[in-house]
Amino acid sequence: MPTPLLEARGLTKRFGALTALSGVDLDVNAGEVLALLGDNGAGKSTFIKVLAGAHAPTEGTLTIGGTPVAFASPQDAANVGIATIFQELALSENLSIAENVFLGREIVRRVAGVPFLRRREMKDVVGRLLDELDAHISDPDAPVGSLSGGQRQAVAICRALYLDARLVIMDEPTAALAVAETRKVLDLTRRLADRGCAVLLISHNIADVFEVSDRMAVFRRGRKVAERRRDATDPEEIVSLITGAHPDVRALDKQQ
Amino acid sequence: MTARLRQSPTLAILAGLWVLLVAGIALLSPGILTASTLTTILQFSSILALVSLGQALVILAGGAGIDLSVGGIVSLASVLAMMAVSAGLPATLLPLACLGIGLALGLGNGLLVTRLRILPLIATLATFYVFSGSAVALTGGAAQSGVPAAFTPWGRGALAGIPLPFLTLALPLFLVAGVVISATSWGRWLVAMGDNERSARLVGIPVDRARLIVYGLSGLASGAAAFVSLAWLGSARPNIGQNLELTSLTAVLLGGVSIFGGRGGVAGVLAAVLLLVTLQTALLRLNINTVWQVGIVGALLVAVLVADALTTRRR
Repeated sequence: MPTPLLEARGLTKRFGALTALSGVDLDVNAGEVLALLGDNGAGKSTFIKVLAGAHAPTEGTLTIGGTPVAFASPQDAANVGIATIFQELALSENLSIAENVFLGREIVRRVAGVPFLRRREMKDVVGRLLDELDAHISDPDAPVGSLSGGQRQAVAICRALYLDARLVIMDEPTAALAVAETRKVLDLTRRLADRGCAVLLISHNIADVFEVSDRMAVFRRGRKVAERRRDATDPEEIVSLITGAHPDVRALDKQQ
Repeated sequence: MTARLRQSPTLAILAGLWVLLVAGIALLSPGILTASTLTTILQFSSILALVSLGQALVILAGGAGIDLSVGGIVSLASVLAMMAVSAGLPATLLPLACLGIGLALGLGNGLLVTRLRILPLIATLATFYVFSGSAVALTGGAAQSGVPAAFTPWGRGALAGIPLPFLTLALPLFLVAGVVISATSWGRWLVAMGDNERSARLVGIPVDRARLIVYGLSGLASGAAAFVSLAWLGSARPNIGQNLELTSLTAVLLGGVSIFGGRGGVAGVLAAVLLLVTLQTALLRLNINTVWQVGIVGALLVAVLVADALTTRRR
């Protein structure tokens, strides 16, 4: 077993008296899709926000490729190759698709220190990425405000692709999508992993998770209660782990 | 390009209103329509245009951005710069003094907003009182004369009927601002943070630093306006900036910049400035009571906002 790309040890996050995340250990390997499952409020979103640098953990450590890291901002996380596609897609509706993909790291030609945009080049790159995704968006200059939910998802994924991320975190990427778009996003998720990317996928849709993921981790009440390989489990077991009907989880719940 | 498209209805509406206005003047009092009236309008526009440009940047950058202190900055910068020259500052440094004081006051606003997290409306309302009050207090309300004669030919001169302050300062700055907003990363960051500050922060745009700079630029623009007033009038008047906060705000909103930020551009703002000053000049020449002037400007603002809301909904 090679060293995991990302190792989380004892990650804890408290908001005042509320413990949103409690002592979570988790490894994510390059080239795999790891699904995070759990009910609302189970701590999945808090966990990925810690990984993405949006929250600092109260306790616990993170290492990337064996090196300990501490993120003060999402920018720090992005710099070590973690790209996050948040549930509330971080897109500016008034900017074009190309501008959104490149926002914060535009391709520019500096004239006397002034960063002039190289629009043609950015448009070409985004056009290629959108083709690769088969996203059916013909004009990278269209404003994001005019796009459907799935198309916005594609723009956010484009952004991660362009960043050449080592770990892509996807928070409910298929939640608001039509069937055909869900297919595409799942295909893409798989393709990201096959390119050697580690993908952390949050989803409520068990069918999606079983289709695309290699491993699953189940969260409940801020703890990681189970970890399973896809070929060693089935949807019934996962559901019982999420709801707390599974004997292991019941035992854990009693301990608390 | 998309930003330009979205801006064009505003520009078309403003141009239409301007044509209507000029046609109205032609009917009511054709004697007003002379080249010298145009020069007067542009002369009066220069100060409002500079101040409105700064105001537009602040509002565009979002985060409930607004700069109510612009008029106070114009008054205080002109008074302080003049006093400095009277106290022995080399006269050639007068423009730099105006700009430096304006920038410093603007950055002060920016620090209140970005560091102390005071709501811009309140922070700049407070500094508005501080700045305009200080300008009056320092001078006892009297105009400070003695602007070096070397500056007045620029402040009062015109080339082909276009006043030099407008031609050589206001217009170029609007062009630069237009290019920076539409063609550089900085402009895209400004629009992005105005549109969706959370996403701008997530992608790593230095939102607070950008906002600080924008307030500084607004102060700088007001400092430039202060210098224009000095070179034009030949003296520093402690009340020169009176009402500029409201008229600049009107021009910016009339010009199609959304009060919520992230939407609009500076071309519309310049068009709105010209429309406003034309209207005010016409009303003045037609001897219409100033009380009505304010009401008419307000009605114009409502009309443009309604028209804009209607076209936005249709799209």
